[in-house]
Amino acid sequence: MTAPRTVRASATWAALALLSAAVLVPFAWMLVSSVKLDDEVFTVPVQWIPKQFHWENYVDIWTTIPMLTYLKNSLLLSVVITVLQVLTGSFAAYGFAKVSFPGRDLLFYSYLATIAVPWQAYMVPQYILMEKAGLVDTHLSLILLQAFGAFGVFLMRQYYLTIPDELLDAARLDGLTEYGIWARIVLPLSRPAMASLALVTFVNTWNDYMGPFIYLTDNDLWTVQIGLRSFVGAYDAQYALMMTGSVLSVLPVVVIFLFGQRYFVQGIATSGMK
Amino acid sequence: MKRHLITTIAVATGSVLLAACGGGSPGAGGDPKGPVTIKVSVWNYATTPEFKALIDGFKAAEPSITVKPVDILAEDYARKLTAMLAGGDTTDVLTMKNVIDYSRYATRNQLMPLTGEAKAVDKTAVPALSTYDLDGKYFALPYRQDFWVLYYNKTLLKKAGVDEKTLTNLTWPQYAELAGKLTSGTGASKVHGTFLQTWRSVVQAVSAAQTGGDQLGGNYGFFKDQYALALGLQRSGAALPFATAFTQKITYKSVFSSGKAATLPMGTWYASTLLADKASGKSTVDWGMAPMPQIAGSSKVTTFGSPTAFAVNKKAKNAAAAKRFVTWASGPEGAKAIAKVGVVPALNDPAVRDIYFGLDGIPNDPIAKKALTPDDVKLEMPISDTSSDVDQILTETHQLIMTGEKDLDAGLAEMSSRVRSEVGR
Amino acid sequence: MRRFPGPRRTTLAGWTFILPGFLGFAALTLVPVMATFGLAFLDWDSYSTPEWVGLANFERLAANPTFWTALGNTVFYAAGHVPLTLVASLGLAVLLNRRIRGVQYFRTALFFPYITSLVAVAIVWNLLFDPDLGPVNQLLRALGAGDPPGWTSSTTWAMPAIIIASVWRDMGYYMVLYLAGLQTIPPELYEAAEVDGAGAWQRFRHITVPSLRTMTFFILIMLTVSSFKVFDLVQVMTEGGPGRSTLVLSQLIFREGITEGRFGYSSAIAVVLFAVVLVLTMVQFGFSRRDER
Repeated sequence: MTAPRTVRASATWAALALLSAAVLVPFAWMLVSSVKLDDEVFTVPVQWIPKQFHWENYVDIWTTIPMLTYLKNSLLLSVVITVLQVLTGSFAAYGFAKVSFPGRDLLFYSYLATIAVPWQAYMVPQYILMEKAGLVDTHLSLILLQAFGAFGVFLMRQYYLTIPDELLDAARLDGLTEYGIWARIVLPLSRPAMASLALVTFVNTWNDYMGPFIYLTDNDLWTVQIGLRSFVGAYDAQYALMMTGSVLSVLPVVVIFLFGQRYFVQGIATSGMK
Repeated sequence: MKRHLITTIAVATGSVLLAACGGGSPGAGGDPKGPVTIKVSVWNYATTPEFKALIDGFKAAEPSITVKPVDILAEDYARKLTAMLAGGDTTDVLTMKNVIDYSRYATRNQLMPLTGEAKAVDKTAVPALSTYDLDGKYFALPYRQDFWVLYYNKTLLKKAGVDEKTLTNLTWPQYAELAGKLTSGTGASKVHGTFLQTWRSVVQAVSAAQTGGDQLGGNYGFFKDQYALALGLQRSGAALPFATAFTQKITYKSVFSSGKAATLPMGTWYASTLLADKASGKSTVDWGMAPMPQIAGSSKVTTFGSPTAFAVNKKAKNAAAAKRFVTWASGPEGAKAIAKVGVVPALNDPAVRDIYFGLDGIPNDPIAKKALTPDDVKLEMPISDTSSDVDQILTETHQLIMTGEKDLDAGLAEMSSRVRSEVGR
Repeated sequence: MRRFPGPRRTTLAGWTFILPGFLGFAALTLVPVMATFGLAFLDWDSYSTPEWVGLANFERLAANPTFWTALGNTVFYAAGHVPLTLVASLGLAVLLNRRIRGVQYFRTALFFPYITSLVAVAIVWNLLFDPDLGPVNQLLRALGAGDPPGWTSSTTWAMPAIIIASVWRDMGYYMVLYLAGLQTIPPELYEAAEVDGAGAWQRFRHITVPSLRTMTFFILIMLTVSSFKVFDLVQVMTEGGPGRSTLVLSQLIFREGITEGRFGYSSAIAVVLFAVVLVLTMVQFGFSRRDER
């Protein structure tokens, strides 16, 4: 009934190769467009091989817009927010998953409930609050907004639920405090989940447009996403350079992904969990 | 770090209560003594030359006042401004990108009255001023006046053997015929006779202006001829199909400046872009301007358009200095400054017009002169409480008609019934 | 269940774990969200004095056909996006959780859609879906479809086009979460099952699926919630058009709130959206509880 293993494996491999190629088409388009002239970007049908390669786009982008400033701002925001989110998320999640005390579930549901409200709905009250605190037009406003997200708490809690209680009970018997258990046992065990959380937080912050758009007005504070969007305004459309910028903006995330992959797919020491 | 955080949170929490009470102090604006800095909200500063022209010009006139632009992405300008004002932002001068938003900010009491300043303006020289009249009060002064003309590509006309002079007095059927004649080529080298931007104003505002129909009225039979024309143009292949332009987000700029369309009905603002693109070598199009085509039997040139104005934020930090900027920019000096970069000022003055036509690259033949001195410029969309709701419905139905999802009569009927049943209840 | 330390000690420990994060969350998210709920009963445009109008905003909403259209479109989107993304991401994670040649490349490639800029995503998908010249319809015609769909220029096919693009974009993201979940399954379980002669499908059904239950629950909730909150992709692909055929609730909230400044009315829409998601989440919680038993 089943095909021989090797045949099936190579069929899977071929399917994956095809799928991943198909998935990369839009990125390929970005790459190709980034070395074209502006008017050559939108052509029907698509011109997959540019008539001429305009590599100078990759030089011009740094002087046409303050790309370096944008990248620095995005990097600062993404790193700080990711670190805080992973810390606050895993710390609080331990409380929710592994310590039982009165009032816990109520707090957890309040986290959960806010996930269901679209940001567009409370954008305005939040903005007024930040304005009154004098934090609008600062990076701190975005850091505060995103570092305490409910997502991280929820994700880490779900992961901690899979860690057997017996393991923690044994540690408690050994005299470890709850903080000690969190730091010495749970944190090392949850490396794959932390890596995923860090990755998705980083990517979300990096690609966030609405947050910086609402909160940052000063051009020196702008992130890559608003910097790029400001390119395609009603009065100008430098699409090729925009794609050059997009390619550059994606690169840091790719590096993070390749680097972080090791952590969430390499496997954890399962022996400790038995 | 942690301490700082807790303080911040405490402050933030406390302020929510304040915000809930609708607190906030009005801007104190004393007389500008000594150097002051005012902030002006603008869009796409780098690519909208008029703002730099105004700021530099004002700096020369009033050296003690420094003007700092607050740059906002054009597409998101209205939303960002709404959010800023809701939060109590203190940016001094606010550019009113369109008239409907102006009336909204003004009726919400977010703008400082400029009635005194407006009374000093010569109304015959600035016809757009009346647009900003809200029950006898004014909250903004116009500095720029856009209206629609028919752009054309001189090279393509010559190639098709069409005399430019025939564009001086076009009727819509003649325009459609011309577009057919100017269409050539296939595939990548296809040139369309005309290009219709996907905005509803291309069909609706022009039709309302020339037939006298009311866009807020809830009865849209008067759109019919103009729609039949637009649908006919795309059916015959003389214009790029709406569906393609809409889904591929193809804009008039890329089409006209690359010579893919021979004619283009568009606003006067596009001239300054064409001028700048030609100067920087981005475009080589040899272009002219003709009056908008008219409905048959009309002897006058009627078109539509919209002014742009400056207002002073009610919470401005430096209200007095801000008022001086607004008065200057909307006056003769400001008008000259923007005419120099190819923007049509709100102030209609022979000296200013001479500057405009004297610019290198602006067509100054009799056809262009006629195009730029229309007999009547109707407001693109009447101002009312219901304007934006009606605008939404008209836009949605416009898409349905132009993509062929609804046939013309059914579409117009839906427009009328939706506006009547959903707006103003 | 045994509890080793005394209850007082755990209570204290529990609060200290939760409070630092919770305070920040409460001040910056919970309070604004609660303010939204209050606003839903007010007539307020940020500048005027707020006026209590009771249920008037909700009555106006119920009578507004655009709201019902947007609600229907949002449900349609969720009904397509949630199951398709869940299945695709789980399948990919399982396929890529083993040692095959080029696994690193595949994982990266499949995650790529998520990190590619939305502007590029919208442009490329619209090109792919072009009714006349787009590769999608060229393929369909080659396969014998006489009259292929108009995709984003058609009121019927615009939403399916968005769903396809959204699954494409999100599956890599949830695949990453599933990959983390798969790491918690001890390989010994599979080895034992293989010794017992269980086939690949049986191992998947009896080991993988049950072991991923908490992760699946999490992903299902996140997917449901994010489907109902969908905004960016629709905004860049169709802006809700043609007509109102792809208008979703969060666009309506954004339009009424930020663009029109009707904060009370837009908050009322948000409350309805919240209620819908809450009911769905509770149903999912119920199922997950029942499963755990």
